[in-house]
Formats: sequence, structure tokens, C-alpha cells
Amino acid sequence: MNLSSLLLPAVLFFALGVIARLIKSDLKFPPDLAKVLSIYLLMAIGLHGGYELAKADMAIAFQSIIWALILGFTLPIVGYLALVATRKVSPLDAAAISAHYGSVSAGTFLTAIAYLDNLSIQYETYPLIMLAVMESPAIVVGLLLAAKARHTLAAREGGGNLAGKSGEKSDLKDMLRDAFTNGSVVVLIGSMIIGAIAAPSGMESLKPFIDEIFMGVLCLFLFDMGMVAARRIGDFKQVGIVLAAFGVVMPLVGGAVGVYIGASMLDFSVGGSMLVGVLGASASYIAVPPAMRLAIPEANPSFYLTLSLGITFPFNVIIGIPLYHSMAKAMVP
Amino acid sequence: MVSLYSEKMLNIICNDSLEEKIVCMFKKYGVSGYTILTARGEGSSGHISDMSGFDANIMVKVILPESRMQVILESIERKIKKGYHLTIYITNVEVISPEKFEKTIS
Repeated sequence: MNLSSLLLPAVLFFALGVIARLIKSDLKFPPDLAKVLSIYLLMAIGLHGGYELAKADMAIAFQSIIWALILGFTLPIVGYLALVATRKVSPLDAAAISAHYGSVSAGTFLTAIAYLDNLSIQYETYPLIMLAVMESPAIVVGLLLAAKARHTLAAREGGGNLAGKSGEKSDLKDMLRDAFTNGSVVVLIGSMIIGAIAAPSGMESLKPFIDEIFMGVLCLFLFDMGMVAARRIGDFKQVGIVLAAFGVVMPLVGGAVGVYIGASMLDFSVGGSMLVGVLGASASYIAVPPAMRLAIPEANPSFYLTLSLGITFPFNVIIGIPLYHSMAKAMVP
Repeated sequence: MVSLYSEKMLNIICNDSLEEKIVCMFKKYGVSGYTILTARGEGSSGHISDMSGFDANIMVKVILPESRMQVILESIERKIKKGYHLTIYITNVEVISPEKFEKTIS
């Protein structure tokens, strides 16, 4: 593993955020800062990616979308089965947690881009479309798994109705609409379209916004996220050792599958395959938690928030990314 | 001396993802208005912070005549039975213009 990856300013700022919280510093960011910064980051990466994609091969773009859908739909099922097998959480908690692992974390993806840029490794832009595509399918799978779990529980309790049938149907329709129109997806896809169709001269004037301040903003974002994650690490005891282990093992499985798809199915370079690995490994903490609060209110939010923000996110940023890089180097012919 | 009239105030603390559902319920059953504040704290759902903006709580306050309270409470009870985490309490308040709380928004 390359030690220089840990000395990336963005990763160091993440560590500073964690330390600031651990030493009980009075440092406080304005409310919603991470949310504001993530909108900027998605916009910048979307504009950049859209501009590049306009020149890309549509057949590969289409294949990437198909593989993103396959990953997004299957990873939550794998996670769900693994969690149910541990017998440590209820099936509804398992459904909510696994939905997070099928979706993606843009913060982790952007850190991976910073990592590649730092090592001057080339990468394809297709994983960016996959990032946009993979935000939503896992939410849908989470809903379906939860519906199944509710039926099983209701049958076990002798027909006890946990949620009104008709209500469930209209809720499902609203959830599906929310899953595909959630803020991150709109910002990312919208910016990609703008990047693809905007006049090149106009894009040139946006260069300072898209390129030059990007890494600085990413540092600030990760600084804030370090503090948020550290707060969640405190809840570690509540989730227990088995669930905490899931927060590390699941990204490793997703990461390995992702790198394999990038390297063998999509013929990407080491950089591109690593990015697909990061997509498979990361767990959402922006789009999925509010969706799960609405769709699976019976699930305990402490479980999924602690796992995705307190365990998997720091694991991926510090250890996962260099590890997926090594996997990609081993798998790309 | 200004006259005071008794009303009830319903207070709801919940995650901000439930805001749309609650507003929808208010409009369905009729309230004259509502106020929403961001909130943070700790309870059965663990620590809820508005620091990151990713997982915030809200506090919803609505004043209404006692006669209209029951139907809203029943609706809230149904939500709690479905598993939604809602903290509810009702306080007695005194207002100077009761007619303000009669007309409903839609």
C-alpha cells in the first residue's frame, strides 16, 4: 500500500476533523456547510464529467450504465442476506442498512479522484455516470426488501398489520419518485448535461470554479465530514462488533466486485477500475438515510448512520481507496 | 386589560424527512398555520445533529382549538404505529386573538 495516499491533504483534513472532535475542540462549522459543499462538489464534477463525456464512446457509456444498475440492484441483496444471516438485526434493519451499501457516497468517490490525481493516474469518466445511476436503485431494493420483511413479520404475528395496504402502495409510489428525483441525482445529472451541451468558450470561463478551487473545497468538505464521522464513532458500542465488522467487510466485497467489473467487464484502466471499485464499496449517507427514515421507519437510524458514516466512510477514505487501487493493479491485465 | 383565550398547542419533534408528511396531514385535517424550527438533541433515535445538514430534526408547533385536536392526534397515532419516531406533547396556551386559529389553510 502506498503511504503517500494517506498524506493527501484531503485525507489529512478528514483526520483533522476526527481529531478536533476527539479532543473536544470547540470548532464548529456553520450548519448545512457539508450539504452546501457537497452540492458544489457534485456540480463541479458533473460539469467536468459531462464535458468529457460529450466526447466519449456512447456504447461504453451504455454498458457502464447497465453494470451500474446491476451493482446497484444486487449489492443490497447480498448485504441483506449477510445481515439476516448474522441474526443480529431485524429484517427491517437489515433492509435499511443494505440499501445504504448498494447506493454510493460521492464524498468517497471524490476522495478517490483526488487520490488518482495526486498520483497522476489516468482514469475514464464513465464511472461518473455510474455514480449518478447508482444513487437510486438501492433505495428501491431497500423498499422491496422491507416490504418482504413486513409480510414475513405480519404472517409470523398472525396477520397483524404493520402498515395499511393501500397506504403502503401510495407511499411506495412517492418513495420511487423521491428516489429518482433526489437532490444529488438532479445536481449531478443536470450538471453533466450542462457540461455536455454548453459552448466550450463558456466552459472555459468556468475553469476556476470547476478545477482550481475543487481540491480546496474537497478538503473543507472532508474536514467537516471528519467531525461528523467522529461523532458517529461514539455510537460504535451501540451497533456491536458484528455490525461494525459488516461495515468493513461489505465495502471489501463490494469493492472487489466493482474492481472486477471495471477491469474485466468494462475494460477500464487501473484508475477507472479502481473508481468502479470505490462505487461498489461506498455506502450512501446523503440520499439514502432520509429515504429510509420515510420508507422503513421501523428500522433504527443509529444502525445505518453509524455504519455508513462512522465506520464505512472513514474506512474507505483511509484504507479502502489505496486497497482498491492495489486490487485494480492486480486485476487489470 | 386585554382578554386572553385558551387554546391548545401541539408540539412535534421528528426528523426533517417527515416534514412533508406532517404538513400534508395538517392541510388534510385543517390547521390555521404552523411553525417549524430546526432542532437537535439526543433520544431513542440516537444523537441527532443539524451540524452536517444531513440528518436534522425539526420541531413543529401548531396552535388549534381543542375540538380539532383529536382527529390530528389520531392521524399521528397511526404514524407512530407504523414505526415513525415522533415525540408529541400538548401544552395549554393563551392567545389574544382566537379567530386567527379558526380559519384553516389549504
